[in-house]
Amino acid sequence: MSCSGRIVITGAGAVCGAGLTIDAIWDAIINRRTAITTLRRWDSSSWPVRVAAEVTGVDNRTLVEDRKLHKLILRTDLFGIYAAGEAIRHSGLAAYRDSLDPALVAQFNDRSGVIVGSGGGVYQNNYDFFPALSSVKGDLKDFGAQSCSTVNPMWLLRNLPNNVLCHVGIRHNFKGTNACITNQCVGGLMAVAEAAAAIRAGEADRAVAVGHDNPIDPETILHYHQVGLLSPDALRPFDRRRDGTVFGEGAGAVMLEKAEDAQSRGTAVFGEYLGSGCVTEATGALDVRPDGDGLSRAIEIALDDAEITAEAVGMIVAHGNGTRASDASEALALGRVFGRSIPPVTAFKWGFGHLIAASGIVDLTLALKALEQRVVPGIATLQSVDPEFRWLTVLPNSQPARSDVAMVCCRGFGGMNMAVLVRAGTSAHRS
Amino acid sequence: MTPRRRAAITGIGMVTPVGNDAPATWANVCVGHGGVAAIRSFDASTFPVRIGAEVKHFDAAARIRDRKLLKHASRSQRFALAAAAEAFADAGIRPEPHNAHRWGFIAGAGMMLVTLDELRTVHSFCERDGEFNPEGLVNPEYPVDPVAFCRTQTNSGLALLTHHFGIRGYATAVHTACASGGQALGMALKVVRRGLADFMLAGGYDSMLNPIGLTAFCLLGALSADNEMPERASRPFDATRNGFVLGEGAGFLVIEEWEAARKRGARIYAELAGDGNSLSSYRITDSHPSGDGPIQAMQQAMGDAGLAPRDIDYVNAHGTSTLMNDRSECAALGVVMRERAGKILVSSTKSCMGHLIAAAGAVEAGICALAIREGVAPMNAHYENPDPDCDVNLVLGQSRPGRIRAALSNSLGFGGSNSCLAFRHPEEVEGLPQPGLRNSEQP
Repeated sequence: MSCSGRIVITGAGAVCGAGLTIDAIWDAIINRRTAITTLRRWDSSSWPVRVAAEVTGVDNRTLVEDRKLHKLILRTDLFGIYAAGEAIRHSGLAAYRDSLDPALVAQFNDRSGVIVGSGGGVYQNNYDFFPALSSVKGDLKDFGAQSCSTVNPMWLLRNLPNNVLCHVGIRHNFKGTNACITNQCVGGLMAVAEAAAAIRAGEADRAVAVGHDNPIDPETILHYHQVGLLSPDALRPFDRRRDGTVFGEGAGAVMLEKAEDAQSRGTAVFGEYLGSGCVTEATGALDVRPDGDGLSRAIEIALDDAEITAEAVGMIVAHGNGTRASDASEALALGRVFGRSIPPVTAFKWGFGHLIAASGIVDLTLALKALEQRVVPGIATLQSVDPEFRWLTVLPNSQPARSDVAMVCCRGFGGMNMAVLVRAGTSAHRS
Repeated sequence: MTPRRRAAITGIGMVTPVGNDAPATWANVCVGHGGVAAIRSFDASTFPVRIGAEVKHFDAAARIRDRKLLKHASRSQRFALAAAAEAFADAGIRPEPHNAHRWGFIAGAGMMLVTLDELRTVHSFCERDGEFNPEGLVNPEYPVDPVAFCRTQTNSGLALLTHHFGIRGYATAVHTACASGGQALGMALKVVRRGLADFMLAGGYDSMLNPIGLTAFCLLGALSADNEMPERASRPFDATRNGFVLGEGAGFLVIEEWEAARKRGARIYAELAGDGNSLSSYRITDSHPSGDGPIQAMQQAMGDAGLAPRDIDYVNAHGTSTLMNDRSECAALGVVMRERAGKILVSSTKSCMGHLIAAAGAVEAGICALAIREGVAPMNAHYENPDPDCDVNLVLGQSRPGRIRAALSNSLGFGGSNSCLAFRHPEEVEGLPQPGLRNSEQP
């Protein structure tokens, strides 16, 4: 039976350079502290890009207690598993399952989905083949013998892009509908939309949506720099002096379920999912349309899906990645859809960098926090809005939200554009 | 409530180890002509496994005329471009400016994004004492290649195909290892049902048949090491099976909203009628020997399609030819099909094609659509020794002609994702009530 009822968010978790909890990240954002600082993972002194928002000072066991698992997964997976665990814990669903009649537990598990937006592999995985390449000295004939005796037997499993999906399933015994979306930047936010769609269609009663990524990697930074996407020092969304994005790392997760289920078990509701839109501009890997066509189409689809008008949107979390082309086309798209009724707009990447596949979903958790507080945080790095879009309602300081509805935008390679609409919950988030 | 939209399969394209298009692949699968042989595309002589199911004589330049596009496409993406072009031509429809926004795209994309040659470049600049030293990358001599960079992005195939074919609606890429292709098609069905698109290009592509991919699977002990008899190495369900054979390729389907396809007089191979999707949550590489995980996927797919075991005539099994997969999958078939289990024809076309990993589920969905259209259940090749743990009604000796009213296709992946797709003969769709509610017969 398809479920046309409301879908609510009963748990959320996030980790990034700005903190290990949504409250800590929010506190940094609202107090104008950025986690973007000198890149320390390797000696970057001779690099053209020397900044990032790394997750530092956190023991891996704080993220994932099970030390045996650390050898089977990558750093990005630690973030994803951690954020998902926080969202599930926060939702109280595990305790609820424990209270169920044992006969109902299997059904509960089969009706619990896991949808992940994964950043996929990083280049570093392949360096495990360096010893084999060194020993064959350019003659690949002996490569197989060398690689099969020097590479860790678990290499493939360790590098599966769907490891967070697998291990969240195993750890929480969620066995229902699932997907691992490998759609670069929009993956995490798409996970939210797909989780909600699965619940709406009656394929699951609840699903955890996760997005995780770790682009702070030498080759990734080199390539992004080479194609002109990285700033040497700071991320300044919509500023006239903006000169590129800055990488962060981390994950976000939200637990979605049917509103009637949340109500009947008396759990706190952190937010409500309203709708989403997702389209490609068909512009190839790196290009964006200057007119913002894809984003405005995604927003129109999301508004239709949510059955609300543009006027009902009380705040917008823009993608705002700080690159010349993306911010300019995003501003045009927002202007085209919202016109004079554009609500306060902000963007969060200045505070913890661009989290790529995790960016949209972490933005979503903070949008819910902003709705809860009715405050749209300012963009601390904004000095002077680009005169090309002076009408854009971005400010260095915070603004009041116009209503209890937020829109989160997310854009990525492949001409991808997404918008998700959420409404404030009925209770505050407690990390 | 509004009736649920149906999805019609109207175009099929394939590049596989047994054929560089769908007709050739289908013909070889039907006669059990295998594609497994000694690996030729690189020197595999010092690997413990030296056999694979390679795509052969694939002339990318003849299939993809756009030279610039070819430069941007990896080996597996070239397969994808060719298979997608074939699917469009077969369907007789493709995105046009007036409906491009109503076309969607979903692909199960392989996980290997960096080639060994590219890695060797990094190695030559950055290796120090066996470790990676990032300093080498900022050497002014380092040959930074933005085209190679684009190829390494997880959605690079999406970027290439949506751009080349002008698809401007919903788009995504997914990866759940060997379940990727099946899950991509399941998502495509849901996107059509949700009304987000009227037309979908959906499928999968992969190639791990290279020194890195082969190493990875050799290390896991997942591959058959029958180097001396490659033609029989992939023998799903045979008691002597000893691993899968690594393959490569692509499969894409054109899927259209049913009524629109009917209106334009499209040839409909089959209805993509249901999707089942579960997580084993057991181990990374296996599902439970009881079939837990695959059971739920099959039950959901049938329930979603409004089908009961009595309606199913053919199952295209995941059937990798590994000990654990085949046993768990057969256990699941027994549980799901109950007394009907002995009557349902089962085969794994991996017996011919090998395992196409992220492309497998998509190609096998195409095989199911062709099986329904042609009225032939393709054979399970290379089977000799019955395994009491694999007690299913295999199509043995030769392919079996006969009407297939409905078929299932399983794809079970590393990481525990299980996909089952249900297909229905187009003539079985006529006269059915519009589905709205889920089938009450769902077990």
